[in-house]
Amino acid sequence: MSTLGDQALNNNNVGPIIRAGELVEPVIETAEIDNPGKEIRVEDKRAYVRIETEGELVLTRKTLEEQLGRPFNMQELEINLASFAGQIQADQDQIRFYFEKSL
Amino acid sequence: MAMHPRKDWYELTRSTNWTPSYVTEEQLFPEQMSGHMGITLDKWESYDEPYKTSYPEYVSIQREKDAGAYSVKAALERAQIYENADPGWISTLKAHYGAIAVGEYAAVTGEGRMARFSKAPGNRNMAAFGMMDELRHGQIQLFFPHEYCKKDRQFDWAWRAYQSNEWAAIAAKHFFDDIITGRDAISVAIMLTFSFETGFTNMQFLGLAADAADAGDYTFSSLISSIQTDESRHAQQGGPALQVLIANGKKEEAQKKVDIAIWRAWRLFAVLTGPTMDYYTPLEHRQQSFKEFMYEWIIGQFERALIDLGLDKPWYWDLFLKDIDELHHSYHMGVWYWRTTAWWNPAAGVTPEERDWLEEKYPGWNKRWGRCWDVITENVIEGRMELVSPETLPTICNMSQIPLVGIPGDDWEVKVFSLEHNGRLYHFGSEVDRWIFQQDPVQYQNHLNVVDRFLAGQIQPMTLEGALQYMGFQCVEEMGKDAHDFAWAEKCKPEMKKSA
Repeated sequence: MSTLGDQALNNNNVGPIIRAGELVEPVIETAEIDNPGKEIRVEDKRAYVRIETEGELVLTRKTLEEQLGRPFNMQELEINLASFAGQIQADQDQIRFYFEKSL
Repeated sequence: MAMHPRKDWYELTRSTNWTPSYVTEEQLFPEQMSGHMGITLDKWESYDEPYKTSYPEYVSIQREKDAGAYSVKAALERAQIYENADPGWISTLKAHYGAIAVGEYAAVTGEGRMARFSKAPGNRNMAAFGMMDELRHGQIQLFFPHEYCKKDRQFDWAWRAYQSNEWAAIAAKHFFDDIITGRDAISVAIMLTFSFETGFTNMQFLGLAADAADAGDYTFSSLISSIQTDESRHAQQGGPALQVLIANGKKEEAQKKVDIAIWRAWRLFAVLTGPTMDYYTPLEHRQQSFKEFMYEWIIGQFERALIDLGLDKPWYWDLFLKDIDELHHSYHMGVWYWRTTAWWNPAAGVTPEERDWLEEKYPGWNKRWGRCWDVITENVIEGRMELVSPETLPTICNMSQIPLVGIPGDDWEVKVFSLEHNGRLYHFGSEVDRWIFQQDPVQYQNHLNVVDRFLAGQIQPMTLEGALQYMGFQCVEEMGKDAHDFAWAEKCKPEMKKSA
């Protein structure tokens, strides 16, 4: 029993959890482009989509604008950023999800 | 007009600490309200909130969020969710609104306390936004259920629950008073924003949103997931407060606050969300089990983040994992059995198909809770309805305010954890609930649970009717009934015959 719990705990998954809607696809694309060489995992839970990778995930405004085909104020992400895994560092040009320690 | 990037001016504009000359630092930030633990103003300036915003950005983003939630509601008004949804889902809505909506106003107070009494300027700044977030959550979660009041009086409990002495409302108030209104600013940052809002609100507001979307209730799904976007921002006030405390040698105190808040939130949500996810939500619309949502949001995400910030797993980790497998099944049976005392209509959720699902998600369910439901089902089928309603009072935990439960069936395990303190005997539902009391008896010792009040003669007349009146039920339509009027028992008949 505690093994299952510890297995669930011992992960290094970080990344945004986006509400169902127009931002889901562009954010997945952006995650792929801005984090080259990393496996981006996507879990669709219907009301929200979990977008994750190991250790660190960066989304830049520049890539997001290219994917959306329009100017994007990074703060707008908040409208659909339901939650996130890991710690967050949110600036106007990029947003970063990360863990300090790797388990 | 070109705007300066926020990062060029943010630090300067929110550096609002100064050296007081008319009063002392302690008078400006009294420990009892601030909770600074003797750490001085200059040290609190290292507090760096990771998720920043400014007032113009806040206003424009919040406007967008509200426009989204209200327009979904308007667009789907004709979907007639109330008429078309399964009664189990309607019960989920009622339980949610009553237990949550007015509690949001307590959170306004907590944010206000941080906005005034935190020694960290970044905390005060973000809390001012948090205060407005929580006002939004209170108002919007009262407005959305309001349209149903004319169809069903139980929806009026969205507003009334917190003003009543109904047992689940007392449990919710006792918990929120303990982590919000009855705590200093830094405790609020750790117990409310960090422990509760990066932990359990994710499960309630996103887990339940997933089930809602599946059940076709997009209005509710969009509403609660929109609320969680505010939480995601203002919940980030707790992490940097923890870091300041750890850096200044207060890790043990911080850890204890987190452990208390998590356990208390767990027990409350086990009685509130456990039954709604695993029993009320129609089987075909369950995205995941309650346990799976707990593992996703609390174990995999929240506890993991806690370790990253420099804290440890709670000391009761193994008890916690065991509880996640068991507790809410017993709570559910109790709530269903004492359903007259709820402001929603509990769904039994034990048709043969549902029992198969429960056995799959919780191996051993049938030989434990299933055994009791066998007896209940048989009584319903045989029309012995006097045996499927209570005549006695349960024993209620003096911490969680929820009845004591154990494991029925082959693995029978029921235990009370008692404590004598200042000549009064207290009863607790777990070792952890008792431990919490022992950490700060003054915080809890004078409170009477519903049964204590009954035995003290505060509830008159001393009958079930007297108790229901005391709990605030104004008429029989407001009292909980079986959500499907026992139709589920019919579906169990063939199975019962087989086993006979």
